Amino acid sequence: MNDEKLEQILKSIGTEDIPTEVHEIAQETSNNFSRSLRQSRQASKPPLLEHIMRSRTIKLAVAAVIIIAVFVGLPFLPDKTVSVALSEVLARVEKAPAFMYKMKMKVSGSMVPGAPAVNQDVQGTIIISNDCGIKMEMDMTDPNTGIKMTQQIYLVPDEKAMFTVMPEQKRYMRVEFTDDLLERAKKQNNDPREMIKQMMACEYTELSRSVVEGVEVEGFQTTDPKMVAGIGQDIKCTLWVDAKTWLPVLAEMDMTMGEQMRMKGTIYDFEWDVPVVAEDFVPVIPEDFEPLPTDGMKVPEITEEAAIEGLKTFADLTGRYPKKANMMDLMQEITSVMTDKMMKDKNQDMTQTERVTEMMKTISPVQSIALLHMTLVQDQKEPAYYGETVEPGDVEAVLLRWKINDSEYRVIFGDLSALDVTAEELRELEGSLP
Amino acid sequence: MEQSERLELFEKIRARYSVFLTSVLWKLAGDKELFTEAMQYALLGIWQHIEKLKGEKAGAYVYRIALTSNSRAWRNRIGRNGHISTAGAGAENAPDEELGRSELAALIRREISKLPLKQGRAIVMRYMEQQGYQTIAESLRCTKAGARSHVSRALATLKNKLAVLA
Repeated sequence: MNDEKLEQILKSIGTEDIPTEVHEIAQETSNNFSRSLRQSRQASKPPLLEHIMRSRTIKLAVAAVIIIAVFVGLPFLPDKTVSVALSEVLARVEKAPAFMYKMKMKVSGSMVPGAPAVNQDVQGTIIISNDCGIKMEMDMTDPNTGIKMTQQIYLVPDEKAMFTVMPEQKRYMRVEFTDDLLERAKKQNNDPREMIKQMMACEYTELSRSVVEGVEVEGFQTTDPKMVAGIGQDIKCTLWVDAKTWLPVLAEMDMTMGEQMRMKGTIYDFEWDVPVVAEDFVPVIPEDFEPLPTDGMKVPEITEEAAIEGLKTFADLTGRYPKKANMMDLMQEITSVMTDKMMKDKNQDMTQTERVTEMMKTISPVQSIALLHMTLVQDQKEPAYYGETVEPGDVEAVLLRWKINDSEYRVIFGDLSALDVTAEELRELEGSLP
Repeated sequence: MEQSERLELFEKIRARYSVFLTSVLWKLAGDKELFTEAMQYALLGIWQHIEKLKGEKAGAYVYRIALTSNSRAWRNRIGRNGHISTAGAGAENAPDEELGRSELAALIRREISKLPLKQGRAIVMRYMEQQGYQTIAESLRCTKAGARSHVSRALATLKNKLAVLA
């Protein structure tokens, strides 16, 4: 390139008009920042947390963690005696080897205290094949920039992995599953069959007949917390099925996650027995796509050992244990801890990639605490967690316990040793808690 | 400085330099995502250094903050392979005959973000803001010849970088 051409391009960049939309983005960004300063006035802390959480890369990585949690986290509930009607719906749905549907979801609220509230609209099309896997195409709009983002998510059973491809960002991520988690993810992820099974295992009511999009429907509704035990609360889930075919027509779900987030979604436009080919379920990742910092991440294990490792990681970092063990609260707490740590370490010159990598190294083992707790809740093993009062090193204080049979409990103590104790011994131990 | 004073000063600086920041950061970024990120860094930089922005040198500091913020936003695009993706950096949706220019513009923007501070500032003032050498010299506190030197050294650096990439 000669000097003249270089100068020509530089001049043309300099004389380009600034699009109106850019002025609007600038104004909105500036106003948001100013507002966050005023809100954090009493804390007199620079709004680095807000700034970090607005970063696209961080958001993608944290969202990935949440997606994984939801993938593996929906509850397995024991079967119980149910009405003939809902069983009939399940029987009809299970006959379909492949089917597709659309979903709309709105997530609002702050994932981390002090971070800006999100107001994310997600729309997607999902194809589920018993033989080939799951493919989801999701469209999201960033409320800050108005920029649309597409994600293609593939669950590939043969590779025991989930791939997320982001065409606009030219990024992708691969998350590996263990055999157990793969089974769990295959069965659980947004699959209406599992939603029906979960509803069958909960307290639910049959609604009077109604009409949805011109179809006469029967309704089933539950507000039973067991429906989303361990990942959400205040659930209201309604399923409308065609009164003639007994196949689902519309499902609506509204729940809160943690103290600050709300998720509201609908599943609709079901198509049953759709023809599929295996190639449709193979992720397409062009050569020039780059992996996200979380690429290659393994889904944390759901074992006692992994949870102890997570507790140790958290205690080493903070000198205490997490206050709560449910996924959303724990994620909020660890993200907040990591952000504070980065501020103290004056690591603001780190690239986003380095920042995310460091964050994920810590977050990943800590997630095991929540995953174990979630499983124990769902398996109705009466878990109790005392992270708010028990300090690291306390050899006699019960930090986490759960039931292993009618007369015995498993206990993880404050010094992270673990023992089986009788119900009587547990009563004594818990009686001496501060 | 009291928190209320800091906030008041921040609002004044924000109002005064809002158009400048939008213009310079957009021209240096060339796409909305990068621009938004650079803008956030710039606002954060202003807030963190608000005490220094009281006096006459405020403009110079804001300039430095803007260029540093742009560099930081660009740096965040660096992948594991050390390359910066030009995806979305002004090359999308361009007609075929414009694609070459758009890609070059994105590459030039990227390389400007890596220039030493004074060279970066000189090139931005000269070409993005169409300032004369006298103004650049005053801003950089050097002679007019010195300003020319900064601009030409920046151009030479850009040319070399682009030649390597080509």
